[in-house]
Amino acid sequence: MTTELDLKLLPLRKGLLEFVVLKIVAGHSVYVPDILRRLADTEFATQEGTLYPLLSKLRREGLVHYEWRESETGPPRKYYQLTESGRAQVHALDQYWLQLHRTVADLGHTPCNA
Amino acid sequence: MQRVITVSLNQNPYSLEEDAHAGLEQYLAESAATLASNPDRAEILADLEQAIADQCTRRLQPGRSVITLTELQPALAEIGRVSDPAAQTATSGDNASSATPNQSAEVLRGAGLEQISEGAWISGVCNGLARSAGIDVTLTRVIAILLLFVTGGTMIVLYLVLMLLMPYAPLQIDGPALRKLPAKCRELVTSLRAKIAALG
Repeated sequence: MTTELDLKLLPLRKGLLEFVVLKIVAGHSVYVPDILRRLADTEFATQEGTLYPLLSKLRREGLVHYEWRESETGPPRKYYQLTESGRAQVHALDQYWLQLHRTVADLGHTPCNA
Repeated sequence: MQRVITVSLNQNPYSLEEDAHAGLEQYLAESAATLASNPDRAEILADLEQAIADQCTRRLQPGRSVITLTELQPALAEIGRVSDPAAQTATSGDNASSATPNQSAEVLRGAGLEQISEGAWISGVCNGLARSAGIDVTLTRVIAILLLFVTGGTMIVLYLVLMLLMPYAPLQIDGPALRKLPAKCRELVTSLRAKIAALG
């Protein structure tokens, strides 16, 4: 991918980060290194400096919550899970994403003389 | 030989060499400033402290217990600069009216004006000015000392203002250890900046 195109697509990926993080948390309860690892080889690779503030925002919005779990090697860890409204939002986002995808795909084919 | 400083990261003790400590202070102060208006600032900072502690401990050579810049810098690079999702939506408008010290600091950094702690006498202002002007630091020091006599003390105020406004250049891995005063100044100014940012 050329860097110029990549630069144009950057805001898109940034905007979607919240969505993909919610989707990861939806799978099963995870802690931050799990999320980082899951995203590392994708277009959404991110860092703790971005993820912690994002998760705290999602928590404030009531979409995720966390519980402390003991770890074998060090202090207790925060494990994140979706709340009810988080689950509803992931569902809504999924629907919206499909619709968006259809719209984008259709635009190239439909004649515009209507 | 470096002094070792013990700090509490997310309420666990960790030992750091002096320059690693200065680097950590700077990162945390910058993070605190970025999150100044975030209601969960304290919690996010605690999360980050824990992440830094984990990353550094993982990087320690077997049998070593003191964290140096060799562990700290790659750890901080992996964690990345803090970005505040709340602030990103808030600052999309044109509310850049009041310039905080941090905003001024970014402007100065953009202009290539940074304080350099390594080899500094006081805080690194002359050192930094010399680098951006491309001249020998002795020359900027001589000029500063001359100005001190000519202006009769006003120069001290100017130095303090520059010291507060000019951002610090990142410390070099394997760079020379800092003298006592520059290390102290760096620590003092970064914590002062964090406090000012927390107020604003």
